[in-house]
Amino acid sequence: MKIAYSHLVQHIEENPNIDQLSVSLFQLGHEHEIDGDIFDMELTPNRGDCLSLNGLLRDLAVFYTVNLNQEIYTEKLDKLLIDFENLSESTCPQISFLKLEIDQVPEIYKDSLDSYFLDLGLNKNNFFTDISNYLSYETGQPTHCYDANTMSGKLLFHEIEKNEEFETLLDKKITLTGKNSVFSLNHDVINLAGIVGGKSTSCSTDTKIVIVECAFFQPEAIIGKSVKYDIQSEASHKFERGVDPECHDKVLRRFINLVGEHTNIKGMSIISYKSKDYPIHQIPVNVQKINQIIGINISENEYLNYLSKLSFDIEEGFIKVPSFRSDVKTQNDLAEEVARVIGYDNIPTLEISIPSNDRKNHKDLENKLRFFLLDHGFYEVINSPFVSLSSEEAIKVDNPLDSNREYLRTNITNSLVDNLLFNERRQKDSIKLFEISDLYSSNSGINKKRKLSIIASGRVGLNFEDFSKKINKKYLTMLFQEILPNEVFDFKILSRDLLDTKIKNEIVTLEVDIDKFSSDILSYKEVSKSPESFAQYSPISDLPSSFKDISYSIKDYSKTEALQDLLLNYQSDIIKNVYIFDYFKNEKQEEIKIGFRYIFQSKIMTLTSAEIDLVYNDIVSQSLKISGISIPGI
Amino acid sequence: MSLHKDILPPRLIKDRGSLHPINNMKDSIMNLLVSFGFDIIDGPEIETEEFNFDMLNIKKSHPARQMHDTFYIENKSNLLRTHTSPVQIRGMLEKKPPLAFISGGKVYRKDDDATHLPMFHQVEGIYVDENVNFAQLKDLIYKIIYSLFGDKVELRFRPSYFPFTEPSAEVDILSKEGKWLEILGCGLVNPIVLENCNIDSDKYSGLAFGLGIERIAMLKHGVTDIREFYKSNLDFLSQFK
Repeated sequence: MKIAYSHLVQHIEENPNIDQLSVSLFQLGHEHEIDGDIFDMELTPNRGDCLSLNGLLRDLAVFYTVNLNQEIYTEKLDKLLIDFENLSESTCPQISFLKLEIDQVPEIYKDSLDSYFLDLGLNKNNFFTDISNYLSYETGQPTHCYDANTMSGKLLFHEIEKNEEFETLLDKKITLTGKNSVFSLNHDVINLAGIVGGKSTSCSTDTKIVIVECAFFQPEAIIGKSVKYDIQSEASHKFERGVDPECHDKVLRRFINLVGEHTNIKGMSIISYKSKDYPIHQIPVNVQKINQIIGINISENEYLNYLSKLSFDIEEGFIKVPSFRSDVKTQNDLAEEVARVIGYDNIPTLEISIPSNDRKNHKDLENKLRFFLLDHGFYEVINSPFVSLSSEEAIKVDNPLDSNREYLRTNITNSLVDNLLFNERRQKDSIKLFEISDLYSSNSGINKKRKLSIIASGRVGLNFEDFSKKINKKYLTMLFQEILPNEVFDFKILSRDLLDTKIKNEIVTLEVDIDKFSSDILSYKEVSKSPESFAQYSPISDLPSSFKDISYSIKDYSKTEALQDLLLNYQSDIIKNVYIFDYFKNEKQEEIKIGFRYIFQSKIMTLTSAEIDLVYNDIVSQSLKISGISIPGI
Repeated sequence: MSLHKDILPPRLIKDRGSLHPINNMKDSIMNLLVSFGFDIIDGPEIETEEFNFDMLNIKKSHPARQMHDTFYIENKSNLLRTHTSPVQIRGMLEKKPPLAFISGGKVYRKDDDATHLPMFHQVEGIYVDENVNFAQLKDLIYKIIYSLFGDKVELRFRPSYFPFTEPSAEVDILSKEGKWLEILGCGLVNPIVLENCNIDSDKYSGLAFGLGIERIAMLKHGVTDIREFYKSNLDFLSQFK
């Protein structure tokens, strides 16, 4: 909701600047951004009463001297004769209608009405709708204007539960479905209550006789409708959060006054229907409780003074909650009011001491397993549970994001296969992934299982010992025997036949209940550790990568270290990774052979061979300066 | 040229894997909170409306309960939990005060855009005892934030609204760029919630807080796009060793 600073400050005696007002609003919990002279408010859903100029001013009155000085029509009004029946008083316990006839439609707006459109950069519609919109901005109470000439017949407020076509005053045609609260005229829906009026009875620029409807709708009847019918509605936003049930007479009299400021009124009449009185909520005065909740020590006078400034009345030991504050019901609610006024940041802290726990980590076994896998080059992943494929036991989501995410997965392996292919497409030739997750299925009730799934394919590792070894069932079986020699795991080879890939490496998978692992694993001594600091992420590249190998022959063994220092630490923006993939010691010829693999990838462009060669040649040239080494073939 | 017979082989650099940065962040925060005295409890990701909403004082009319915000399953008989708070309800029903526990894990909301995902992670904590107050809650929050972001970080408390806490607050920290960033939500447990869990709200009061793990991980690691966490890209994951 946008509120102009100038509209607020004209009612505040102290004349605070926009930054001072911003600080006050934040202290009160009214988050906002400032755009020029406009506060763009993001109010919490419990503060529907603040969705207006007057609502914010009522709160700001705790810090400033606020003078609303908005004139209302005070003379006695005739009773409006209207053929209306309320068939759903529980949804709309209170409703009023005002009929006004004017001489002429004004062409120019004055004072607050004029500055409303000017300062907020809003488009005008027609005179009566413009007054209605302004009044909603000023008071927070939405009203709806019908052109009285279109309103002959029986007007009903009721709930319907049938499909019905409805054209809104914004020319949008919708089909009402399910349960809706509507106004009907002679059996035709003319207004989707609290959301948007209909085209057939809407006011135009020629309208001179208007019927203004001012209602209190229960939020439950309104919530979700604007989203359901895709209608942006300020009125529904307010009704959903609750409006003041006791404001109708004042709001309609303010309506008359605003009309009267612009044109001559020929006739006016009003009628109100009220099925029940709004109960005044009362809370006992108990400053001790307030101090206990917040952890402060203020006097009763100070406490009541705060509440009084926030429009609460205090009578005979009770605090009377104003009708526009439907969110305040308990001592804790009142404590929040006091804390807001003091300022959350101004409340001193009190040392907290939580009784010590037994510090038992119930996931020790699972964590040991994770670190064991880490030690052997596995990366932990987390996948979305939503999948398109249904299995007999899969749980269906009633309202999925789309048809590809209609079910909850019943295995992790399929997700890991997707992860594997994703990385293979990015030229990864050694992929080892795992995920631990709860899986849910439906089979005579909802079943939960906590599972570990792993997938591995390609080279065992990117080092000279593992480079030429391929991942297979034997490798993984031996790996797990290291920690659990007495248990058998059912590793599977996944066929690539149905996968969109030309890579031939064997894919080995395992999916197993976490319960399957015995506590023997707790004796495993992990090498990896949790990171002690949080690494700063460097954006990754999705551009193609390529590799180049360099193989050296070393006769002077003492130069091996120097060569490694140079090659493993060589710096270039296009080198993504380097590792020793080959090592061989030839005793007979008294030489060692050592091979380095460089992975090249740029973050900004696809590399050409020439760009890679430039760096490659420099590496070669620098390395050959080391005596006693050579590159066979060069 | 002399030949050294006892030459060592080249450096064997074995590629170690990494924990997922979100799980690692979640574990770090939970370990911190355990050191403050909290116990860890777990709860299911598939919940009932009763535990996810009703017991937490989230009224039938609350927008969060709508089909466009919450994933319902099997003809609305259950739902995917929208927060980890129902675990606290389960904990309060099982134990009597004084109690202090945390829960962490996946939660689900019907969002999917550049800044919101349908699945994300939370850690929440609750402490119920006699005379727990807002000033103590502030002390705890300062300790958490200082542990995560250092004791030089500037923070502010803003009044906010959660149906299950009253008073409620959101806490922001000031970024290096001078922008306030929302870090967590907290408050005193609404007495209605305590009563729902058969805890005498005249005798006991409680504090509660919740943190979004992705948000903190993004800030700590400098990740700008939340979707990167869930692509399972080895180039990404290998940076968090």
